[in-house]
Amino acid sequence: MATITSSLMSASGALDAFTEALSVVENNVANASTPDYASQSEDFVPLELNPSQGLPGGVKAGQLISSRDEYAEQAVQQQTTLLGQAQQDVNSLTSIQSLFDISGNSGIPAALNNLFSAFSAWGQTPDSSVAQQNVIQQATAVANAFQQTATGLETAAYDTRQQLQATVDQVNQFASQMAGFNQQIMNGNRADPALDAEVHSTLDQLSNDGSISATQQSDGTWTVLLNGQTPLVMESQAYALSVGTVAPSANSPNPNGPAHLSLLSSDGTDITADTTAGQLGSLLNTANVVMPQYLGDETQDGSLNTLAESFAQNVNTLLTNGLQSNGAAGVPLFSWTNTTNVAQTLQVSSITPSQLAAISPGPPQVSNGVALALSQLADPTTGLSYTQSYANMASNVGSLLDTANANLQTQQAAVAQAQNVRQQVSGVSLDQEATILLQFQQAYEANSRLVNILDQLTEDTMNMLITS
Amino acid sequence: MDAAPGAERLAIARSEVHRACDLLVASTPEALQDSQNALADALAALQEFRRSQPPLNSAAAPLAKALRTEVIRAGRLLQNLAGFYQGWERILGAMSGGYTASGAPAAVSRQGRLCCRG
Repeated sequence: MATITSSLMSASGALDAFTEALSVVENNVANASTPDYASQSEDFVPLELNPSQGLPGGVKAGQLISSRDEYAEQAVQQQTTLLGQAQQDVNSLTSIQSLFDISGNSGIPAALNNLFSAFSAWGQTPDSSVAQQNVIQQATAVANAFQQTATGLETAAYDTRQQLQATVDQVNQFASQMAGFNQQIMNGNRADPALDAEVHSTLDQLSNDGSISATQQSDGTWTVLLNGQTPLVMESQAYALSVGTVAPSANSPNPNGPAHLSLLSSDGTDITADTTAGQLGSLLNTANVVMPQYLGDETQDGSLNTLAESFAQNVNTLLTNGLQSNGAAGVPLFSWTNTTNVAQTLQVSSITPSQLAAISPGPPQVSNGVALALSQLADPTTGLSYTQSYANMASNVGSLLDTANANLQTQQAAVAQAQNVRQQVSGVSLDQEATILLQFQQAYEANSRLVNILDQLTEDTMNMLITS
Repeated sequence: MDAAPGAERLAIARSEVHRACDLLVASTPEALQDSQNALADALAALQEFRRSQPPLNSAAAPLAKALRTEVIRAGRLLQNLAGFYQGWERILGAMSGGYTASGAPAAVSRQGRLCCRG
Protein backbone atom coordinates (compact mmCIF):
# COMPACT_ATOMS: atom_id res chain seq x y z
CA MET A 1 0.00 0.00 0.00
CA ALA A 2 2.89 2.32 0.81
CA THR A 3 4.25 1.79 -2.69
CA ILE A 4 0.95 2.65 -4.34
CA THR A 5 0.63 5.79 -2.24
CA SER A 6 4.13 6.92 -3.05
CA SER A 7 3.49 6.16 -6.71
CA LEU A 8 0.39 8.31 -6.71
CA MET A 9 2.21 11.10 -4.91
CA SER A 10 5.12 10.99 -7.32
CA ALA A 11 2.87 10.84 -10.33
CA SER A 12 0.89 13.75 -8.98
CA GLY A 13 4.08 15.74 -8.47
CA ALA A 14 5.23 14.92 -11.98
CA LEU A 15 1.91 16.00 -13.42
CA ASP A 16 2.08 19.27 -11.52
CA ALA A 17 5.54 19.94 -12.85
CA PHE A 18 4.46 19.02 -16.32
CA THR A 19 1.33 21.18 -16.17
CA GLU A 20 3.41 24.11 -15.03
CA ALA A 21 5.93 23.61 -17.81
CA LEU A 22 3.18 23.22 -20.38
CA SER A 23 1.58 26.43 -19.24
CA VAL A 24 4.86 28.20 -19.90
CA VAL A 25 4.81 26.73 -23.39
CA GLU A 26 1.21 27.86 -23.85
CA ASN A 27 2.13 31.34 -22.75
CA ASN A 28 5.00 31.49 -25.20
CA VAL A 29 2.77 30.25 -27.99
CA ALA A 30 0.01 32.72 -27.15
CA ASN A 31 2.53 35.53 -27.35
CA ALA A 32 4.29 34.30 -30.43
CA SER A 33 3.27 37.42 -32.33
CA THR A 34 3.61 39.88 -29.47
CA PRO A 35 6.33 42.40 -30.36
CA ASP A 36 9.45 42.19 -28.20
CA TYR A 37 8.01 39.35 -26.21
CA ALA A 38 10.83 37.34 -24.69
CA SER A 39 9.93 33.70 -24.51
CA GLN A 40 10.22 31.94 -21.20
CA SER A 41 11.33 28.44 -20.61
CA GLU A 42 11.11 25.92 -17.85
CA ASP A 43 12.82 22.58 -17.78
CA PHE A 44 10.88 19.49 -16.85
CA VAL A 45 12.21 17.83 -13.75
CA PRO A 46 13.38 14.29 -14.36
CA LEU A 47 11.89 11.78 -11.94
CA GLU A 48 13.89 8.77 -10.95
CA LEU A 49 12.44 5.34 -11.66
CA ASN A 50 13.20 3.07 -8.69
CA PRO A 51 10.20 0.96 -7.61
CA SER A 52 12.09 -0.58 -4.70
CA GLN A 53 12.36 2.89 -3.18
CA GLY A 54 8.84 3.88 -4.21
CA LEU A 55 9.95 6.11 -7.08
CA PRO A 56 7.69 5.40 -10.07
CA GLY A 57 9.38 7.76 -12.56
CA GLY A 58 7.36 9.97 -14.84
CA VAL A 59 7.27 12.25 -17.85
CA LYS A 60 10.15 14.65 -18.19
CA ALA A 61 11.09 17.26 -20.72
CA GLY A 62 14.25 15.53 -21.80
CA GLN A 63 12.23 12.52 -22.82
CA LEU A 64 9.84 14.65 -24.85
CA ILE A 65 12.62 16.49 -26.63
CA SER A 66 14.40 13.24 -27.31
CA SER A 67 11.18 11.73 -28.67
CA ARG A 68 10.62 14.77 -30.85
CA ASP A 69 14.14 14.53 -32.28
CA GLU A 70 13.76 10.82 -32.95
CA TYR A 71 10.41 11.51 -34.60
CA ALA A 72 12.15 14.03 -36.89
CA GLU A 73 14.81 11.40 -37.64
CA GLN A 74 12.10 8.93 -38.57
CA ALA A 75 10.46 11.48 -40.87
CA VAL A 76 13.77 11.83 -42.75
CA GLN A 77 14.10 8.06 -42.94
CA GLN A 78 10.56 7.66 -44.29
CA GLN A 79 11.18 10.21 -47.02
CA THR A 80 14.57 8.64 -47.78
CA THR A 81 12.81 5.29 -48.27
CA LEU A 82 10.50 6.87 -50.84
CA LEU A 83 13.49 8.56 -52.49
CA GLY A 84 15.30 5.22 -52.79
CA GLN A 85 12.20 3.78 -54.41
CA ALA A 86 11.79 6.68 -56.84
CA GLN A 87 15.48 6.61 -57.80
CA GLN A 88 15.39 2.87 -58.46
CA ASP A 89 12.14 3.21 -60.46
CA VAL A 90 13.82 5.75 -62.73
CA ASN A 91 16.93 3.59 -63.16
CA SER A 92 14.95 0.45 -64.00
CA LEU A 93 12.49 2.15 -66.34
CA THR A 94 15.26 4.06 -68.15
CA SER A 95 16.90 0.75 -68.86
CA ILE A 96 13.64 -0.77 -70.13
CA GLN A 97 12.68 2.27 -72.21
CA SER A 98 15.97 2.16 -74.10
CA LEU A 99 14.80 -1.17 -75.57
CA PHE A 100 11.64 0.36 -77.05
CA ASP A 101 12.32 2.65 -80.00
CA ILE A 102 9.23 4.61 -80.92
CA SER A 103 10.94 6.81 -83.52
CA GLY A 104 10.32 4.15 -86.17
CA ASN A 105 13.96 4.33 -87.27
CA SER A 106 15.17 1.13 -85.65
CA GLY A 107 14.12 -2.00 -83.82
CA ILE A 108 10.68 -3.60 -84.16
CA PRO A 109 8.77 -0.62 -85.65
CA ALA A 110 11.34 -0.07 -88.40
CA ALA A 111 11.44 -3.80 -89.18
CA LEU A 112 7.62 -3.98 -89.31
CA ASN A 113 7.40 -0.94 -91.59
CA ASN A 114 9.99 -2.46 -93.94
CA LEU A 115 8.17 -5.79 -94.02
CA PHE A 116 4.83 -4.14 -94.81
CA SER A 117 6.57 -2.22 -97.61
CA ALA A 118 7.97 -5.51 -98.87
CA PHE A 119 4.49 -7.10 -98.77
CA SER A 120 3.15 -4.14 -100.71
CA ALA A 121 5.88 -4.35 -103.38
CA TRP A 122 5.32 -8.10 -103.65
CA GLY A 123 1.60 -7.47 -104.14
CA GLN A 124 2.41 -5.34 -107.19
CA THR A 125 4.70 -7.99 -108.72
CA PRO A 126 3.66 -11.28 -107.11
CA ASP A 127 5.84 -13.43 -109.39
CA SER A 128 8.98 -11.32 -108.94
CA SER A 129 11.72 -13.37 -107.27
CA VAL A 130 13.36 -10.13 -106.12
CA ALA A 131 10.16 -9.04 -104.37
CA GLN A 132 9.77 -12.50 -102.86
CA GLN A 133 13.39 -12.52 -101.67
CA ASN A 134 12.88 -9.08 -100.13
CA VAL A 135 9.86 -10.36 -98.17
CA ILE A 136 11.98 -13.19 -96.71
CA GLN A 137 14.77 -10.75 -95.83
CA GLN A 138 12.45 -8.25 -94.13
CA ALA A 139 10.62 -11.04 -92.29
CA THR A 140 14.00 -12.21 -90.99
CA ALA A 141 14.67 -8.66 -89.82
CA VAL A 142 11.32 -8.58 -87.96
CA ALA A 143 12.09 -11.89 -86.24
CA ASN A 144 15.54 -10.62 -85.29
CA ALA A 145 14.08 -7.36 -83.94
CA PHE A 146 11.63 -9.25 -81.71
CA GLN A 147 14.46 -11.51 -80.56
CA GLN A 148 16.72 -8.57 -79.75
CA THR A 149 14.04 -6.72 -77.78
CA ALA A 150 13.08 -9.87 -75.87
CA THR A 151 16.74 -10.65 -75.16
CA GLY A 152 17.25 -7.07 -74.00
CA LEU A 153 14.31 -7.42 -71.63
CA GLU A 154 15.65 -10.76 -70.40
CA THR A 155 18.98 -9.07 -69.72
CA ALA A 156 17.20 -6.24 -67.89
CA ALA A 157 15.31 -8.84 -65.82
CA TYR A 158 18.60 -10.56 -65.00
CA ASP A 159 20.17 -7.22 -64.04
CA THR A 160 17.17 -6.53 -61.79
CA ARG A 161 17.74 -9.81 -59.99
CA GLN A 162 21.45 -9.00 -59.60
CA GLN A 163 20.59 -5.57 -58.21
CA LEU A 164 18.08 -7.08 -55.82
CA GLN A 165 20.72 -9.49 -54.55
CA ALA A 166 23.24 -6.63 -54.18
CA THR A 167 20.67 -4.53 -52.29
CA VAL A 168 19.83 -7.42 -49.96
CA ASP A 169 23.57 -7.93 -49.33
CA GLN A 170 23.82 -4.23 -48.49
CA VAL A 171 20.85 -4.44 -46.10
CA ASN A 172 22.45 -7.42 -44.39
CA GLN A 173 25.72 -5.53 -44.11
CA PHE A 174 24.02 -2.52 -42.51
CA ALA A 175 22.14 -4.84 -40.15
CA SER A 176 25.44 -6.42 -39.08
CA GLN A 177 26.88 -2.95 -38.46
CA MET A 178 23.87 -2.04 -36.33
CA ALA A 179 24.24 -5.27 -34.35
CA GLY A 180 27.87 -4.31 -33.75
CA PHE A 181 26.83 -0.85 -32.55
CA ASN A 182 24.33 -2.47 -30.19
CA GLN A 183 27.11 -4.63 -28.80
CA GLN A 184 29.16 -1.50 -28.11
CA ILE A 185 26.15 0.08 -26.39
CA MET A 186 25.65 -3.04 -24.28
CA ASN A 187 29.36 -2.79 -23.38
CA GLY A 188 28.70 0.64 -21.88
CA ASN A 189 29.34 3.10 -24.75
CA ARG A 190 25.75 4.34 -24.82
CA ALA A 191 26.66 7.99 -24.33
CA ASP A 192 29.33 8.04 -27.04
CA PRO A 193 28.26 10.81 -29.50
CA ALA A 194 30.42 9.39 -32.28
CA LEU A 195 28.64 6.05 -31.93
CA ASP A 196 25.27 7.81 -31.93
CA ALA A 197 26.21 9.58 -35.17
CA GLU A 198 27.26 6.29 -36.74
CA VAL A 199 23.98 4.67 -35.70
CA HIS A 200 21.91 7.41 -37.31
CA SER A 201 24.05 7.50 -40.44
CA THR A 202 23.62 3.74 -40.85
CA LEU A 203 19.86 4.00 -40.28
CA ASP A 204 19.63 6.76 -42.92
CA GLN A 205 21.45 4.57 -45.44
CA LEU A 206 19.37 1.54 -44.51
CA SER A 207 16.15 3.49 -44.99
CA ASN A 208 17.11 4.07 -48.64
CA ASP A 209 16.85 0.31 -49.19
CA GLY A 210 13.52 -0.34 -47.50
CA SER A 211 10.88 0.82 -45.06
CA ILE A 212 12.50 0.44 -41.67
CA SER A 213 11.40 1.33 -38.18
CA ALA A 214 14.13 1.81 -35.61
CA THR A 215 13.33 2.08 -31.92
CA GLN A 216 15.73 2.54 -29.07
CA GLN A 217 15.19 0.15 -26.20
CA SER A 218 15.50 1.02 -22.53
CA ASP A 219 19.03 -0.44 -22.46
CA GLY A 220 20.01 1.92 -25.28
CA THR A 221 20.22 -0.73 -28.01
CA TRP A 222 18.37 -0.34 -31.28
CA THR A 223 15.74 -2.68 -32.65
CA VAL A 224 15.35 -2.40 -36.42
CA LEU A 225 12.38 -3.87 -38.26
CA LEU A 226 11.72 -4.04 -41.99
CA ASN A 227 8.13 -3.26 -43.06
CA GLY A 228 7.24 -2.78 -39.40
CA GLN A 229 7.40 -6.49 -38.59
CA THR A 230 10.41 -8.34 -39.98
CA PRO A 231 13.34 -8.19 -37.57
CA LEU A 232 16.65 -7.03 -39.01
CA VAL A 233 18.45 -6.22 -35.76
CA MET A 234 17.69 -7.03 -32.12
CA GLU A 235 20.37 -6.42 -29.51
CA SER A 236 23.62 -7.83 -30.90
CA GLN A 237 21.89 -10.15 -33.36
CA ALA A 238 21.39 -9.36 -37.08
CA TYR A 239 18.80 -11.27 -39.07
CA ALA A 240 19.80 -11.73 -42.71
CA LEU A 241 17.39 -11.43 -45.63
CA SER A 242 17.74 -13.53 -48.76
CA VAL A 243 16.43 -13.59 -52.35
CA GLY A 244 14.43 -16.51 -53.71
CA THR A 245 12.40 -17.40 -56.78
CA VAL A 246 8.83 -18.65 -57.07
CA ALA A 247 8.20 -20.73 -60.19
CA PRO A 248 4.68 -20.78 -61.68
CA SER A 249 2.49 -23.55 -60.32
CA ALA A 250 1.58 -26.42 -62.62
CA ASN A 251 -2.09 -25.45 -62.75
CA SER A 252 -1.50 -21.74 -63.42
CA PRO A 253 -2.60 -20.22 -66.77
CA ASN A 254 1.02 -20.00 -67.93
CA PRO A 255 2.91 -22.74 -66.04
CA ASN A 256 6.09 -22.35 -68.13
CA GLY A 257 6.26 -18.56 -67.71
CA PRO A 258 9.14 -16.77 -65.99
CA ALA A 259 9.45 -17.16 -62.21
CA HIS A 260 8.81 -14.34 -59.75
CA LEU A 261 11.47 -13.06 -57.40
CA SER A 262 10.83 -13.24 -53.68
CA LEU A 263 12.33 -11.69 -50.59
CA LEU A 264 12.73 -13.98 -47.61
CA SER A 265 13.23 -13.14 -43.96
CA SER A 266 15.85 -14.94 -41.87
CA ASP A 267 13.35 -17.67 -40.94
CA GLY A 268 12.40 -18.22 -44.59
CA THR A 269 9.10 -16.34 -44.48
CA ASP A 270 8.17 -14.79 -47.83
CA ILE A 271 7.94 -11.03 -47.19
CA THR A 272 7.70 -9.96 -50.84
CA ALA A 273 4.11 -8.72 -50.59
CA ASP A 274 4.97 -6.53 -47.59
CA THR A 275 8.06 -5.04 -49.24
CA THR A 276 6.65 -2.26 -51.37
CA ALA A 277 8.91 0.66 -50.48
CA GLY A 278 12.52 1.69 -50.88
CA GLN A 279 14.97 0.26 -53.36
CA LEU A 280 13.90 -3.27 -52.42
CA GLY A 281 10.24 -2.47 -53.12
CA SER A 282 11.08 -0.89 -56.46
CA LEU A 283 13.25 -3.80 -57.62
CA LEU A 284 10.60 -6.35 -56.62
CA ASN A 285 7.96 -4.32 -58.45
CA THR A 286 10.14 -4.14 -61.57
CA ALA A 287 10.82 -7.88 -61.46
CA ASN A 288 7.32 -9.06 -60.58
CA VAL A 289 4.99 -6.46 -62.08
CA VAL A 290 6.71 -4.37 -64.80
CA MET A 291 8.78 -7.06 -66.55
CA PRO A 292 5.93 -9.62 -66.68
CA GLN A 293 3.83 -7.07 -68.58
CA TYR A 294 6.22 -7.63 -71.50
CA LEU A 295 7.76 -11.05 -70.92
CA GLY A 296 4.92 -12.79 -69.06
CA ASP A 297 4.65 -14.71 -65.82
CA GLU A 298 2.40 -17.44 -64.49
CA THR A 299 -0.78 -15.48 -65.24
CA GLN A 300 0.03 -13.74 -68.55
CA ASP A 301 2.00 -14.23 -71.76
CA GLY A 302 3.45 -10.72 -71.80
CA SER A 303 2.55 -8.05 -74.36
CA LEU A 304 5.74 -8.50 -76.41
CA ASN A 305 5.07 -12.24 -76.75
CA THR A 306 1.41 -11.61 -77.48
CA LEU A 307 2.29 -9.10 -80.20
CA ALA A 308 4.91 -11.39 -81.76
CA GLU A 309 2.60 -14.41 -81.72
CA SER A 310 -0.41 -12.50 -83.02
CA PHE A 311 1.61 -10.99 -85.87
CA ALA A 312 3.34 -14.23 -86.86
CA GLN A 313 0.15 -16.27 -86.49
CA ASN A 314 -1.87 -13.92 -88.71
CA VAL A 315 0.81 -13.75 -91.38
CA ASN A 316 1.05 -17.55 -91.38
CA THR A 317 -2.73 -17.97 -91.53
CA LEU A 318 -3.03 -15.73 -94.60
CA LEU A 319 -0.14 -17.49 -96.34
CA THR A 320 -1.26 -21.05 -95.58
CA ASN A 321 -4.77 -20.21 -96.83
CA GLY A 322 -3.27 -19.01 -100.12
CA LEU A 323 -1.85 -20.75 -103.14
CA GLN A 324 1.64 -20.73 -104.60
CA SER A 325 2.09 -19.93 -108.31
CA ASN A 326 2.45 -23.68 -108.99
CA GLY A 327 -0.94 -24.32 -107.37
CA ALA A 328 0.46 -25.86 -104.19
CA ALA A 329 -0.87 -24.77 -100.79
CA GLY A 330 0.99 -21.94 -99.03
CA VAL A 331 3.48 -22.57 -96.25
CA PRO A 332 4.03 -20.52 -93.06
CA LEU A 333 6.59 -17.72 -93.04
CA PHE A 334 7.31 -17.68 -89.29
CA SER A 335 7.96 -20.33 -86.67
CA TRP A 336 8.86 -20.29 -82.98
CA THR A 337 10.23 -22.94 -80.68
CA ASN A 338 8.91 -21.80 -77.30
CA THR A 339 5.21 -21.04 -76.94
CA THR A 340 5.75 -19.14 -73.66
CA ASN A 341 8.55 -17.04 -75.12
CA VAL A 342 7.50 -16.43 -78.70
CA ALA A 343 9.33 -13.11 -79.11
CA GLN A 344 12.70 -14.51 -78.19
CA THR A 345 12.39 -17.64 -80.35
CA LEU A 346 10.65 -16.14 -83.37
CA GLN A 347 12.35 -16.99 -86.66
CA VAL A 348 11.65 -17.33 -90.36
CA SER A 349 10.70 -20.90 -91.25
CA SER A 350 12.55 -22.96 -93.86
CA ILE A 351 10.36 -21.39 -96.56
CA THR A 352 11.96 -20.53 -99.90
CA PRO A 353 11.05 -17.33 -101.78
CA SER A 354 9.14 -19.22 -104.47
CA GLN A 355 6.99 -20.91 -101.80
CA LEU A 356 5.42 -17.59 -100.80
CA ALA A 357 1.73 -17.92 -101.61
CA ALA A 358 0.45 -14.71 -103.18
CA ILE A 359 -2.74 -16.14 -104.72
CA SER A 360 -6.01 -15.81 -102.87
CA PRO A 361 -8.06 -18.93 -103.82
CA GLY A 362 -11.36 -17.06 -103.74
CA PRO A 363 -13.61 -17.48 -105.51
CA PRO A 364 -12.85 -15.42 -107.35
CA GLN A 365 -9.14 -16.24 -107.34
CA VAL A 366 -6.93 -13.15 -107.07
CA SER A 367 -3.33 -13.47 -108.17
CA ASN A 368 -2.01 -11.04 -105.54
CA GLY A 369 -4.86 -11.29 -102.96
CA VAL A 370 -2.74 -12.72 -100.13
CA ALA A 371 0.12 -10.28 -100.70
CA LEU A 372 -2.27 -7.31 -100.62
CA ALA A 373 -4.00 -8.63 -97.50
CA LEU A 374 -0.61 -8.98 -95.81
CA SER A 375 0.31 -5.41 -96.68
CA GLN A 376 -2.85 -4.22 -94.89
CA LEU A 377 -2.63 -6.61 -91.92
CA ALA A 378 -3.94 -5.25 -88.63
CA ASP A 379 -4.11 -6.63 -85.10
CA PRO A 380 -7.56 -8.32 -85.00
CA THR A 381 -7.93 -7.86 -81.23
CA THR A 382 -7.49 -4.07 -81.35
CA GLY A 383 -8.11 -3.18 -84.97
CA LEU A 384 -4.87 -1.18 -84.87
CA SER A 385 -1.91 -1.72 -87.14
CA TYR A 386 0.85 -3.79 -85.55
CA THR A 387 3.14 -0.79 -85.67
CA GLN A 388 0.55 1.18 -83.70
CA SER A 389 0.09 -1.67 -81.20
CA TYR A 390 3.83 -1.70 -80.65
CA ALA A 391 3.89 2.10 -80.29
CA ASN A 392 1.19 1.91 -77.59
CA MET A 393 3.28 -0.63 -75.68
CA ALA A 394 6.38 1.52 -75.98
CA SER A 395 4.57 4.72 -75.01
CA ASN A 396 3.32 2.97 -71.87
CA VAL A 397 6.95 2.55 -70.78
CA GLY A 398 7.62 6.18 -71.60
CA SER A 399 4.63 7.27 -69.55
CA LEU A 400 5.76 5.19 -66.57
CA LEU A 401 9.22 6.75 -66.84
CA ASP A 402 7.76 10.28 -66.99
CA THR A 403 5.79 9.61 -63.83
CA ALA A 404 8.84 8.09 -62.14
CA ASN A 405 10.98 11.12 -63.03
CA ALA A 406 8.35 13.49 -61.62
CA ASN A 407 8.18 11.37 -58.45
CA LEU A 408 11.94 11.45 -58.14
CA GLN A 409 12.08 15.23 -58.30
CA THR A 410 9.26 15.54 -55.79
CA GLN A 411 10.91 13.04 -53.48
CA GLN A 412 14.26 14.80 -53.65
CA ALA A 413 12.47 17.93 -52.49
CA ALA A 414 10.62 15.96 -49.79
CA VAL A 415 13.87 14.59 -48.34
CA ALA A 416 15.41 18.07 -48.33
CA GLN A 417 12.26 19.34 -46.60
CA ALA A 418 12.36 16.59 -43.95
CA GLN A 419 16.05 17.34 -43.34
CA ASN A 420 15.25 21.03 -42.96
CA VAL A 421 12.46 20.28 -40.49
CA ARG A 422 14.79 17.98 -38.54
CA GLN A 423 17.37 20.76 -38.46
CA GLN A 424 14.77 23.26 -37.24
CA VAL A 425 13.39 21.15 -34.42
CA SER A 426 16.62 19.51 -33.36
CA GLY A 427 17.85 20.92 -30.11
CA VAL A 428 15.24 23.69 -29.85
CA SER A 429 13.00 23.93 -26.84
CA LEU A 430 9.49 22.57 -26.87
CA ASP A 431 7.94 26.01 -26.65
CA GLN A 432 9.93 27.27 -29.64
CA GLU A 433 8.80 24.26 -31.58
CA ALA A 434 5.21 24.74 -30.45
CA THR A 435 5.38 28.30 -31.74
CA ILE A 436 6.52 27.01 -35.10
CA LEU A 437 3.64 24.54 -35.00
CA LEU A 438 1.07 27.27 -34.42
CA GLN A 439 2.47 29.41 -37.23
CA PHE A 440 2.49 26.40 -39.49
CA GLN A 441 -1.15 25.62 -38.73
CA GLN A 442 -2.14 29.13 -39.70
CA ALA A 443 -0.15 29.04 -42.93
CA TYR A 444 -1.20 25.50 -43.73
CA GLU A 445 -4.90 26.27 -44.03
CA ALA A 446 -4.35 29.10 -46.51
CA ASN A 447 -1.76 27.17 -48.52
CA SER A 448 -3.93 24.09 -48.57
CA ARG A 449 -6.91 25.99 -49.95
CA LEU A 450 -4.75 27.54 -52.68
CA VAL A 451 -3.23 24.21 -53.65
CA ASN A 452 -6.67 22.60 -53.85
CA ILE A 453 -7.97 25.34 -56.13
CA LEU A 454 -4.82 25.20 -58.29
CA ASP A 455 -5.14 21.43 -58.48
CA GLN A 456 -8.69 21.67 -59.77
CA LEU A 457 -7.96 24.54 -62.15
CA THR A 458 -4.86 22.93 -63.66
CA GLU A 459 -6.78 19.70 -64.24
CA ASP A 460 -9.59 21.63 -65.94
CA THR A 461 -7.05 23.57 -67.99
CA MET A 462 -5.34 20.40 -69.15
CA ASN A 463 -8.68 18.88 -70.14
CA MET A 464 -9.53 22.09 -71.97
CA LEU A 465 -6.25 21.98 -73.92
CA ILE A 466 -6.53 18.28 -74.70
CA THR A 467 -10.14 18.38 -75.92
CA SER A 468 -9.78 21.55 -77.96
CA MET B 1 2.39 46.96 -69.31
CA ASP B 2 0.44 44.54 -71.46
CA ALA B 3 -0.63 41.26 -69.96
CA ALA B 4 1.56 38.37 -70.99
CA PRO B 5 0.27 36.17 -73.81
CA GLY B 6 -1.49 32.90 -72.88
CA ALA B 7 1.43 30.49 -72.84
CA GLU B 8 3.51 32.97 -70.88
CA ARG B 9 0.82 33.24 -68.21
CA LEU B 10 1.05 29.51 -67.75
CA ALA B 11 4.82 29.82 -67.51
CA ILE B 12 4.45 32.51 -64.85
CA ALA B 13 2.01 30.32 -62.90
CA ARG B 14 4.44 27.42 -63.06
CA SER B 15 7.32 29.61 -61.96
CA GLU B 16 5.33 30.83 -58.95
CA VAL B 17 4.30 27.31 -57.92
CA HIS B 18 7.94 26.26 -58.31
CA ARG B 19 8.92 29.11 -56.00
CA ALA B 20 6.26 27.96 -53.53
CA CYS B 21 7.77 24.46 -53.63
CA ASP B 22 11.22 25.84 -52.82
CA LEU B 23 9.73 27.74 -49.90
CA LEU B 24 7.88 24.66 -48.68
CA VAL B 25 11.16 22.75 -48.78
CA ALA B 26 12.74 25.43 -46.58
CA SER B 27 9.67 25.02 -44.33
CA THR B 28 10.41 27.83 -41.90
CA PRO B 29 7.31 29.71 -40.68
CA GLU B 30 8.38 32.74 -42.72
CA ALA B 31 8.86 30.63 -45.83
CA LEU B 32 5.40 29.16 -45.34
CA GLN B 33 3.88 32.61 -45.31
CA ASP B 34 5.80 33.52 -48.47
CA SER B 35 4.70 30.32 -50.19
CA GLN B 36 1.12 31.42 -49.63
CA ASN B 37 1.84 34.59 -51.63
CA ALA B 38 3.56 32.63 -54.38
CA LEU B 39 0.59 30.27 -54.69
CA ALA B 40 -1.81 33.20 -54.78
CA ASP B 41 0.24 34.77 -57.60
CA ALA B 42 0.20 31.47 -59.47
CA LEU B 43 -3.55 31.25 -59.10
CA ALA B 44 -3.97 34.78 -60.41
CA ALA B 45 -1.81 33.98 -63.46
CA LEU B 46 -3.73 30.79 -64.16
CA GLN B 47 -7.10 32.52 -63.85
CA GLU B 48 -5.88 35.23 -66.18
CA PHE B 49 -4.88 32.57 -68.70
CA ARG B 50 -8.31 30.96 -68.51
CA ARG B 51 -10.21 34.24 -68.71
CA SER B 52 -8.27 35.53 -71.68
CA GLN B 53 -9.12 32.46 -73.79
CA PRO B 54 -5.82 32.70 -75.62
CA PRO B 55 -5.27 31.18 -79.02
CA LEU B 56 -4.37 27.59 -78.21
CA ASN B 57 -1.07 26.36 -79.52
CA SER B 58 1.16 23.37 -79.14
CA ALA B 59 3.23 25.16 -76.48
CA ALA B 60 0.32 25.43 -74.04
CA ALA B 61 -0.30 21.72 -73.37
CA PRO B 62 3.23 20.87 -72.19
CA LEU B 63 3.25 24.03 -70.04
CA ALA B 64 -0.07 23.08 -68.46
CA LYS B 65 1.26 19.59 -67.80
CA ALA B 66 4.43 20.99 -66.24
CA LEU B 67 2.32 23.35 -64.11
CA ARG B 68 0.17 20.48 -62.93
CA THR B 69 3.27 18.48 -61.98
CA GLU B 70 4.48 21.43 -59.90
CA VAL B 71 1.07 21.82 -58.23
CA ILE B 72 1.02 18.13 -57.33
CA ARG B 73 4.54 18.53 -55.92
CA ALA B 74 3.46 21.53 -53.84
CA GLY B 75 0.52 19.51 -52.52
CA ARG B 76 2.82 16.63 -51.59
CA LEU B 77 5.26 18.92 -49.79
CA LEU B 78 2.44 20.59 -47.89
CA GLN B 79 0.99 17.22 -46.92
CA ASN B 80 4.39 15.97 -45.77
CA LEU B 81 4.81 19.01 -43.58
CA ALA B 82 1.30 18.69 -42.18
CA GLY B 83 1.88 14.99 -41.59
CA PHE B 84 5.02 15.73 -39.61
CA TYR B 85 3.43 18.34 -37.34
CA GLN B 86 0.18 16.44 -36.89
CA GLY B 87 2.11 13.28 -36.06
CA TRP B 88 4.21 15.08 -33.50
CA GLU B 89 1.10 16.75 -32.09
CA ARG B 90 -0.47 13.33 -31.53
CA ILE B 91 2.67 12.01 -29.85
CA LEU B 92 2.92 15.11 -27.68
CA GLY B 93 -0.76 14.78 -26.76
CA ALA B 94 -0.40 11.13 -25.83
CA MET B 95 2.76 11.75 -23.83
CA SER B 96 1.36 14.73 -21.96
CA GLY B 97 -2.33 13.89 -21.62
CA GLY B 98 -2.64 10.19 -22.36
CA TYR B 99 -5.50 8.90 -24.43
CA THR B 100 -9.17 9.77 -24.63
CA ALA B 101 -11.93 7.24 -23.98
CA SER B 102 -12.10 6.54 -27.72
CA GLY B 103 -8.40 5.70 -27.81
CA ALA B 104 -7.28 8.86 -29.58
CA PRO B 105 -4.34 10.84 -28.20
CA ALA B 106 -5.42 13.66 -25.90
CA ALA B 107 -5.45 17.13 -27.40
CA VAL B 108 -2.55 19.39 -26.46
CA SER B 109 -3.98 22.20 -24.38
CA ARG B 110 -3.17 25.70 -25.59
CA GLN B 111 -4.74 28.31 -23.37
CA GLY B 112 -3.90 31.84 -24.39
CA ARG B 113 -2.37 34.14 -21.81
CA LEU B 114 -0.71 37.45 -22.24
CA CYS B 115 2.50 38.33 -20.52
CA CYS B 116 3.17 42.03 -20.01
CA ARG B 117 6.71 43.07 -19.30
CA GLY B 118 7.58 46.43 -17.87
